[in-house]
Amino acid sequence: MDYFQSHIEKIAKATREWLQPDNQSLKQAIEQTVDEGLFSFEDIKFQIRALKQKIDTGQVEEWARRTGLSDQQNAKGHKVFCLHAGNLPLVGFQDSLGTILSGADYFGKLSNKDPYLLESYLKKLIESDLENGIQHSTDINAFEDLQADKVLFAGSEHSVNPVKEKLFALKTAGDATEFVIRTAKFSVAYLDNEEPATLRDMIEAVFRYGGRGCRSVAVIVSPFSLSKVKCHFTDYVEEFWLKNPQHKKPKENLVYQFAFNKAIERDQAWLDDFLVQETEEFPEIECTLNWVKGDYQKLKELKERFGKAVQTIYRTGKHITGLETEFLSTAQTPDLWWQPDGTPVITL
Amino acid sequence: MDAYQIFDESIPFEEKAINIFEFQKEHNSIYGRFCKALGIQDPSKVDEIPLLPIQAFKEKEIVTAQEKELSSSYQVFQSSGTSGMSRSRHIVLDTALYKESIFRGFDYFYDSGEFVIWAYTPEYNLNPASSLIWMLNALIERENSGLSKFLELNRPLSQEKINEVAKSKRRLMLFGAAFGLLDLLEISKVELPANTIIMETGGMKTYRREISKSELHQILSNGFGIPVTNIHSEYGMTELLSQAYSQGSEWFKSVPWMKVSIRDPQNPMREVEIGEEGLIGVMDLANLYSCSFILTGDKGIMNGEGKFNVLGRWNPENLRGCNFLIDKD
Repeated sequence: MDYFQSHIEKIAKATREWLQPDNQSLKQAIEQTVDEGLFSFEDIKFQIRALKQKIDTGQVEEWARRTGLSDQQNAKGHKVFCLHAGNLPLVGFQDSLGTILSGADYFGKLSNKDPYLLESYLKKLIESDLENGIQHSTDINAFEDLQADKVLFAGSEHSVNPVKEKLFALKTAGDATEFVIRTAKFSVAYLDNEEPATLRDMIEAVFRYGGRGCRSVAVIVSPFSLSKVKCHFTDYVEEFWLKNPQHKKPKENLVYQFAFNKAIERDQAWLDDFLVQETEEFPEIECTLNWVKGDYQKLKELKERFGKAVQTIYRTGKHITGLETEFLSTAQTPDLWWQPDGTPVITL
Repeated sequence: MDAYQIFDESIPFEEKAINIFEFQKEHNSIYGRFCKALGIQDPSKVDEIPLLPIQAFKEKEIVTAQEKELSSSYQVFQSSGTSGMSRSRHIVLDTALYKESIFRGFDYFYDSGEFVIWAYTPEYNLNPASSLIWMLNALIERENSGLSKFLELNRPLSQEKINEVAKSKRRLMLFGAAFGLLDLLEISKVELPANTIIMETGGMKTYRREISKSELHQILSNGFGIPVTNIHSEYGMTELLSQAYSQGSEWFKSVPWMKVSIRDPQNPMREVEIGEEGLIGVMDLANLYSCSFILTGDKGIMNGEGKFNVLGRWNPENLRGCNFLIDKD
């Protein structure tokens, strides 16, 4: 067996083992995360189940195959620095796995908002006798003088410069460092039917993780108005919340937005922990879902207007000509090789 | 209440603000619904008055009026904007009150008899409903030397005309938005008298490049040959009938009938600490017949002297999704 095939298999095996229900390290990481109120048990369980399903169907090996990883083609010797966000449990998993799978040396600044889960996985990989280096810390200063070849991070266009300045000051990055910056913030869905299965998928896509992921739907475009589907829709939301209580409560500005909508007589649905409002505005406030009555043309117009802030456009029915779309049901359970901001995690 | 009481400094701001709150809550259905939804009916302190998001001026006609006032003539001001972009509309029922606020505000900071006013306003000229043009026009018309004027566009400053102002024993005050002033500097090969005031009225995001305010002021100071302390700024907008001015620094001071505060974007009812960034909130009593209590979309910061600095537009994109921030993560 050639070297890289063995490398891939070691990672796949370690990942499968890490996801086993009897893995005490993962169990402990979950407990700590829940005890400290970082994420809800239901959200962590959902994420782990989704990853397990992908790993068990051979997606580590498939990702390596799709990328063309081999003894001849890999990222061995490259230093990749990942600045992980912490908006949802294990949000940094894909970057970590992808970087290590590519053969590059991985350096991960873990988020203080999600410090245990990813650490537990990285420890498992460290024990797996891989050739590439794996280092992680929640303290960015631990990566001083790294001079990384590549930096991966998610931010907004406005947070890019302060982050870069900090990395240059620490010499974590240098002039030759390649920066891969993700600026997508949310996803948009086109809802063209009211079938129970579709509505359940939509609720999952909107409300899972409190809507905090960039794959989470923050804007729905639909031929139906909000007032038409409001009651039906909220029944499904209640059903979802019974099983998955929302972990992070909204800030006071949600009530302020509700009052503003009342003032200007905008149609809305107040769901206690979330606000659904009929507006074409940029979805800037957390725990809001913007509802737009419109057709494919409106969907295209909004995609254009929101630009790089949009991660994915989901469809609930047939293909939409002129738009790259994904099925809504995959919103919170993407394949390992899904592309944040349309850019592959592994590039060689 | 008598509208002109808003300028009466013998009446505490708080008393006037609460009276106006009651008036607007009662006679402005939009603001009334806003207060009701927030459960705020009888604030005892000015800090308890809710600020209406400025976006409301893009969505609705924000008018406070009893029957008799509704029938009077009014003027509509509209913000500038590119095609497809929604624009704010401010319906001003009492233009005399607006003019009074402009004049009193200007006189609060400057001796109007001392200045000749020139205005260079490209782009704004294209908007017939511009409140900035209306304000400048009012200031120019009030000045009685006959030397105040709107400058012709794309024409360099004339040394001869500058000398004429100097001879009149008055000082020159040159109003303009950032990009217009830079263009004017580029085409004019003149030195302005050292006592000239350049009044920059915003527009920091030029169509060519974005520059910082201090960088802009330094360029204007060097280019026109006047001290940088003579580069002043005016903070105003279509939705406000009063202005704040900064005189040679980045800190703005407002007039006594306008109170500025910095609000927590996550909870706009809360004022942030001095030195902390937030959304600029304005209570402008001159907005008597629209809405006096406004939450702007501008980012600002307050200092210990009650002056505020405008840090640009609040960027909503940081509020949602994956976002690595060094100091928070």
